[in-house]
Amino acid sequence: MNTGRVYIAGAGLISPLGHGLAATEQALRTNRSAIRPLDLFSLLHGTPLPVGQVNTLDNADSPPRTHRLAGNAAIQAMTGSEQPPDAIVIGTTTGGILTTEQLLRDKVDNKDLYRQHGLGTVAEYLAEELNCDGPVLTVSTACSSGAVAITLAMAMLRRGSYTRILAGGVDSLCRLTYYGFHSLQLVDRNGCRPLDAERRGMAVAEGAGMLLLTTEKPVHPLAEVLGAGLSCDAYHPAAPHPEGRGALEAMQAALADAGLDPGDIDYINLHGTGTPENDLAESKAINNLFTDPPPLSSIKGATGHSLAAAGALEAVVATLAITKNLLPANTGLKQVDPALDLAPLTEPCDRSVSAVLSNSFGFGGNNGSLVIAQADTFPPPADRQPADNGLAIFGYSCLTGAGGTRATLDGLQEGKKPAGMADLDVIAENLPPRLIRRLKRLPQMALSLALSAHESSKIPRKPSSIFMGTGWGALSETYDFLTRLAETDEQFPSPTDFVCSVHNGPAGQVALLLGATEANITTSGGDYSFEQALLSADLLLKDRKETALVLGADETHAVFSPLLDPSIGPETRLADGGGGLHIGRDREGAACRVRIPFFRRLGAEDVISALIAALGGQERIQQKYILVLVGIPAAMHEQGEQQLKRFLDRETGNTPVVRYREFTGEFASASAVAAVMAASFFETGVIPGTLLKGDDMLLADQSKRILVLGLGQHISAMEFFRP
Amino acid sequence: MNELIEELKITLIDILNLPDVTPNDFDENVQLVGGELGIDSIDVLEMVVMVEKDYGIIINSQEVGEKVFSSLAALAQYIKENQPDSSS
Repeated sequence: MNTGRVYIAGAGLISPLGHGLAATEQALRTNRSAIRPLDLFSLLHGTPLPVGQVNTLDNADSPPRTHRLAGNAAIQAMTGSEQPPDAIVIGTTTGGILTTEQLLRDKVDNKDLYRQHGLGTVAEYLAEELNCDGPVLTVSTACSSGAVAITLAMAMLRRGSYTRILAGGVDSLCRLTYYGFHSLQLVDRNGCRPLDAERRGMAVAEGAGMLLLTTEKPVHPLAEVLGAGLSCDAYHPAAPHPEGRGALEAMQAALADAGLDPGDIDYINLHGTGTPENDLAESKAINNLFTDPPPLSSIKGATGHSLAAAGALEAVVATLAITKNLLPANTGLKQVDPALDLAPLTEPCDRSVSAVLSNSFGFGGNNGSLVIAQADTFPPPADRQPADNGLAIFGYSCLTGAGGTRATLDGLQEGKKPAGMADLDVIAENLPPRLIRRLKRLPQMALSLALSAHESSKIPRKPSSIFMGTGWGALSETYDFLTRLAETDEQFPSPTDFVCSVHNGPAGQVALLLGATEANITTSGGDYSFEQALLSADLLLKDRKETALVLGADETHAVFSPLLDPSIGPETRLADGGGGLHIGRDREGAACRVRIPFFRRLGAEDVISALIAALGGQERIQQKYILVLVGIPAAMHEQGEQQLKRFLDRETGNTPVVRYREFTGEFASASAVAAVMAASFFETGVIPGTLLKGDDMLLADQSKRILVLGLGQHISAMEFFRP
Repeated sequence: MNELIEELKITLIDILNLPDVTPNDFDENVQLVGGELGIDSIDVLEMVVMVEKDYGIIINSQEVGEKVFSSLAALAQYIKENQPDSSS
């Protein structure tokens, strides 16, 4: 029975401290730091900086290091479980970049070798290894990714659609993060000393933490994930809000979600990166929330900061605190900074613990806090999970080779195919030059889409949450960062390009512009990234009054895209763009609504039968859809066409089917444009005949729906209908 | 000195992407960081890299940074005083 409790059935981790719960516990009990000078890759200049490097991983060439770290922790978490997980949710920022960096240095142009670059490939790899054919989601919210992944998994479990989900975070060391944080002058040359009066910064690290979460009570549950809270600073692309505003809001939201008061918390695992700004902001938030803070510490003086892994690693450490009565010390601390007004643990401490608050904050002001508690000790959470009844769409926007929303949609009506790449000044038409002076193509797209979607809305509400899907992230910034690094013999990496290269940079910019201080989530699952963003919005948008922006955008980069995206061949006309929806729960004033009845990975069993069943069965499908927009990425052409044939063979009606990539071109988030097309048809009441190669079709029947189907590696269904 | 100031104006407009500023209307005495130009901490880091790359001068303390980047004139002065091959 689903009581709403989310149990931790298994946990695994690999970090600079070692791998496995026992080794980690032992290392934490000795209060030793694993931070050492880097030797994973060689440097052209200077002494290696101290990092948190994992030394207990095999040296295999393939798959990339991030994937192997994830696999190691996942196998630990799954030990003793005979069934594969129903779904996998992973937070990562690095994906296969370490491998890509080496390939680029060796000037390798065989694109097959870049297949595991994308962030989403880490979760795909785990799904493959663990035989999971359910949905696989990837979030990338910089240093809070691991905590956000666990938050999303928890929301999926509470809704009741899944019983067992593997969730966690992972990142490997790479040149991008090593030189990137160094260029921001955020690295302490003397190792990492969180909360210390002499602290000078962080130590970039790597690792993976995984939890097997379940709503079915295990025989021996390790602990429970009792609550989670997300927030966004909407203050600065890289620096935390100086008063810790977002940190406070995330902690408050997590406590409220768990149904606990600050006094119920026995231990706080701090984000505590060791940078002067983070630790000060976090201390202010803690002192704001707790009149008398419980014992607290940051373990990053021992492990370093493993970025996307950190939140998940520390969730596992919180689990250890509960199961082993172990409060880890604030390793590296000599003299606490009096300005922080905190008393961190200077030694590991044996104490019974019922509830732990664990903090993770990231670039873009993306914050996540988790409450991990002893199983069955506190009342189960009240049922606050919104039912799966769809999201109302108040406004929309898109960008294609034809230009903005009107140019794209009018062009479609006139029979033009908008596929292509719009000029940057067309994309930036509605954006003030000062705002975008540092921003390259993808963040400009995101801002343009966000503003247009908001302005087109029929309701005056300002979105407070931002969800963005991007298959490839900011390719220009990543390419420029690595190019300048190579051209200057690794001496002068660009801090601006590094800050802007993170996948969640664009969504963070949108939050800054709109003052959106609630959840801010970037998803990155290849050609299904937009669907994942929409799913996340549907899972996390609770308040009827609250509205959110769901964006999907990808930039196509002349060098990177043909190398990385398997759907782009030498003959492919380069195209990019995206779409944005302003959504909410309250359907008043909505143009139409959307739900996601199906999202699954291609598995062994007949996934098309499952799709048909989820859409209501053959007969119902014939009745309800007036149009099917199908997205088959070019790289999955054969497989996708077979899937479509199987779907149509059984769905024998005369519903017109349009392959939308013929119009949008090949790019990962093309489905966001298809979603906007569907929403616009409901607004105008007409489906243009140019799409159908026939006459215009009226959407007169109020009960008719439009299906946007994604085929290929994942099978996804988005259903648009009248409010 | 004036030559250095003019050179820095062009460099800063380029590396900080100041689209609506020309060297002519770039006042070297106006507050550089946190002023009307909208220059922030990330720009400061970009300027730190530039000063090291183009002039061989390392700025690695916040206190020095705050002084050096208070205005373009102060930056030019600092570079002049600290240049490795400077005779002053």
